[in-house]
Amino acid sequence: MLFQIFSGKKIILAGREGRMATKVGNMEKMYRSAAFGLALLGSTAAAYAQENYEVWHYYAAGSERAGMDAMIEIGNAASEDTKFTSVVIPGNVVELRRQLQTAFLGGRPPALYQSSMAFELKTFADGGQLHPLSDVWAAIDGDAIFPEGVQRVVKVDGVPYGVPFDLSLINNVFYNKEAFEKAGVEIPTDWDSFTAACDALREAGYQPLGNAGGTFWSLYNFYAALVSVIGEEGYYQMARGELGFDSPEFSEALDLYRDRMVSCYAQNWSGKTWTQTADDVVNGDTGMFMMGIWVAAYMEQAGFAAGEGFDMFQAPGTVGKAIFQMDVLAVPEGPGVDAANMFIEAVTTPEGQAAFAVPKGSLAPNINVDPSVYGYAGATFSRQFADASAANAVLPNLFFLLPTDLGTEFGVQIERFAIDPSDSVKAELIATLEGLRQEALAENAFIQW
Amino acid sequence: MASSSLAQRQTILTRTVLIGMAIIFVAPLVVAFLTSFKTPSEITRVLTIPSTFYWENYAIAFERAGRTFLNSLLITAPAVVLSLLIGSIAGYPLAYMRGPGGKLVYFVLLTGMLVPFQIVQIPLFFLVQRMGLYDTVPGMWLVHTAYAVPFCTFFMRNFFASVPRSMYEAALIDGCGPATYFWKLLLPASTSGLAALAIIQSRAIWNDLLFAITLTTSDNARPATVAISGFASSLQVEYGPLMASTVVSIIPVMAAYLIFQQSFVRGLLGGAGK
Amino acid sequence: MAFKSRMSRTDWTHIAFLALPTLLFLVFYVYPVISSIHLSLHDWDGFSPRMRFIGLTNYTVLAGQPRFLHAVLNNILWVGFMLIVPTGLGLLLAAILDRGIRGEKAFRIIFFLPFTIPAVAVAAIWRWMYEPDNGLVTTVLNLLGLGGLSQNWLGDPAVVNLSLMGAVAWWTTGFAFLVFFAGLRNIPTECIEAARIEGATPWQVFWKVSFPLLWPSTIIVLGMSAIDAMRLFDVVWAMTKGGPAYSSEVLATQMYDLAFGRFDMGRAAAVAVYLFIIAGIIIMPYIVYMSRRVQDSEAE
Repeated sequence: MLFQIFSGKKIILAGREGRMATKVGNMEKMYRSAAFGLALLGSTAAAYAQENYEVWHYYAAGSERAGMDAMIEIGNAASEDTKFTSVVIPGNVVELRRQLQTAFLGGRPPALYQSSMAFELKTFADGGQLHPLSDVWAAIDGDAIFPEGVQRVVKVDGVPYGVPFDLSLINNVFYNKEAFEKAGVEIPTDWDSFTAACDALREAGYQPLGNAGGTFWSLYNFYAALVSVIGEEGYYQMARGELGFDSPEFSEALDLYRDRMVSCYAQNWSGKTWTQTADDVVNGDTGMFMMGIWVAAYMEQAGFAAGEGFDMFQAPGTVGKAIFQMDVLAVPEGPGVDAANMFIEAVTTPEGQAAFAVPKGSLAPNINVDPSVYGYAGATFSRQFADASAANAVLPNLFFLLPTDLGTEFGVQIERFAIDPSDSVKAELIATLEGLRQEALAENAFIQW
Repeated sequence: MASSSLAQRQTILTRTVLIGMAIIFVAPLVVAFLTSFKTPSEITRVLTIPSTFYWENYAIAFERAGRTFLNSLLITAPAVVLSLLIGSIAGYPLAYMRGPGGKLVYFVLLTGMLVPFQIVQIPLFFLVQRMGLYDTVPGMWLVHTAYAVPFCTFFMRNFFASVPRSMYEAALIDGCGPATYFWKLLLPASTSGLAALAIIQSRAIWNDLLFAITLTTSDNARPATVAISGFASSLQVEYGPLMASTVVSIIPVMAAYLIFQQSFVRGLLGGAGK
Repeated sequence: MAFKSRMSRTDWTHIAFLALPTLLFLVFYVYPVISSIHLSLHDWDGFSPRMRFIGLTNYTVLAGQPRFLHAVLNNILWVGFMLIVPTGLGLLLAAILDRGIRGEKAFRIIFFLPFTIPAVAVAAIWRWMYEPDNGLVTTVLNLLGLGGLSQNWLGDPAVVNLSLMGAVAWWTTGFAFLVFFAGLRNIPTECIEAARIEGATPWQVFWKVSFPLLWPSTIIVLGMSAIDAMRLFDVVWAMTKGGPAYSSEVLATQMYDLAFGRFDMGRAAAVAVYLFIIAGIIIMPYIVYMSRRVQDSEAE
């Protein structure tokens, strides 16, 4: 240990430079006792820390943080002797995975952590790291309170591993109301009216459709074109790896995306973050923006109210459907399992679910949550989700249904295509993705959704 | 006269360059400083001046990051001293050793500088955890000192090598042992090198993020950099508190700089000839 | 007899001094590197208990991958950039200020100030500055009537690397400035006075007298610049994550993405080993050469 390093050196010196050794030794003695004292302090504190159960997440700021804190408060209120601490991992899912890796390897996992759905859950579950939640799932009657589409992505081989809590729809287009009025635009319902809106906005001096740089956003935009061409059945085929990227349907979807959306994108969109593009909508520079519903919470926080400053419509090709993205809570195997179960029971109640969803601006997956808790925006989305559920038209985010490598590459390639929608880029996109698909098929990596 | 107007022109040119560069260096910081006083809605417009002094950002920063600043101080100060020490202890023999052995050790130590953090992350975690130093301040001292070995050795070895041999030879003749020479003569004569290194190490350790994220998990030992990056989660950036905490975190590093750079003014090599 | 025992006494002292640093080095550097090399020979997602041995597959796949080769190229461009721009600028500023100018203290603070900021703040500030329509850079260009020059700074694959380099130059010039300034101040005034008396102009004094005596500072600045360029991660990851579409990717960000974005730890470790080797090839010969020069100059 630390002391041995220091004392060992002292022994080497003691035999030699007599007086010198004492001087050096004294200094080292000083450091040694200081280190010892503080190590003692540190370890005492650490011992106390283990009484706490940690909830790891990456919602470090803004409305996301507010939602997370509210939910953890509910979890804490539920029981007296266990306390859950919110531990923020700065960054996003990638940073969280890195922390988890060291945690798992070092044998000190948190009690719960924020996980992506579907494939990511499966990766961890297959590694034997996660605790199956069948017991608590039955206790809260999970099969009854969560819609079928949601259940699909938290179960691996029929066993639930994740607790739904943060559901967002990603097939809505947000627009600046004043811009629409000034340009005389009618709310689009299909691709033709969408293109008309685009042209009208451009003529009135607005950037028609905003977008942002990053692995996800262009891909989420692309889903509208994809679903238009291949429908829900094709969507799931894609998720299972059955539909090739070299198929004529996929090529048609790319063309549709290019002709109807990429041609409308705002200038310099690839150099902006999604909040910067949202700022453009708020400031009246950009007319429309297809983004997940979290952008509504962001704009409201900036003082731009739903229903007054902005409104939303469902993306063409996906009207009546709900494409959703969801984060779940996963429970690592370890000493925190019982406490985690208590936490889960508390936060899956309608109150618990609403406690997170309302500040964050997402939807509560529990169908028993009273829609009146939402503001104007949330209520609209809630209706959309309920209608889509009833019509069995709920689609989980394809990115997370695919093997992680393929999903990530998909996002990168679509962004590349959106920046430069030339035929050569399109050909490279198809070749790269198809290559990865073949590899994944060979390794049997796809999940049979 | 011709030469004085040339000199004048040169001075004007020099001053222009200086002021121009100073503006470029300072402008983004001014923007950051102004932003730390803006309300969330004002922040959407980058280049406006805040209407009032919105101290809320600083309050938020203090509430969320206050304890971490203390940790940063507790971690940085001793770690800087230790890394100066270890660099000097290693640099001295490497500067004075004759023969290939010393050169070999020197270059091997230097290769440590090429190692990117990602390589060491997981094994480091294991080591620290097994030593019982996970999430502790002394653990951070150990880690920062160990990872300072290559650079500090590099720096001090080159600094010592530029100190005239004559001083060493004179000391030896006077009957001074090599270790005594080190503590009593060489180190005191090297204050400007140590000062420069102190500045660099203060800044590196204070601003370290990767070690902090890997090896700390609670307010026991979590330094300020983690809290600051927490304001910039990659989905939403809270610019107000982020800029506020950045402004505050500049202060200690600047303080180290201002304190240590005093010794740059003295011409030490001239004095060491005594 | 006495002389001989003094020699070995010195040797023992040297060894004693080196004991602790070497121990730390072995434990904290050598062990992780060996562990990484071991990992790079396997296929592992980072979480499952199974690691599959695949030999050199990771290395061969990477060598043929455009994405990897592009990252290597980017790193080399960064090395070239860091060796010239922040270093040259730092030297220029240090040389100017060394002459003694009114307001010197203020300038010294200003030029060092950006260097004190953590990487995440640099990224956030410059992400902002580079906002293509309303950011500071575009706005200033518009004000100067150079609006036609403004680009999609971080979104155009052809421009993004230059933009990042600009931000990093702003950030790290303070280091070169600091080291060169300290080095210049260390030069005995007698040398400079002697040259000036002989009628040399300030610039001649600089190049013929000061600069050659700056070798210790120069080797540090150049060495660290090259190393930092190879290890570059924080700012790039925080500003663009290597995007758009890998155009600004460097080896360290690619390593990170492979490890935690794609669940491919083995391949990430292989990238790390490649990085280590490439950095060694580029930088070590230089350091060997420079060290010899320092040795020579001290002998004078």
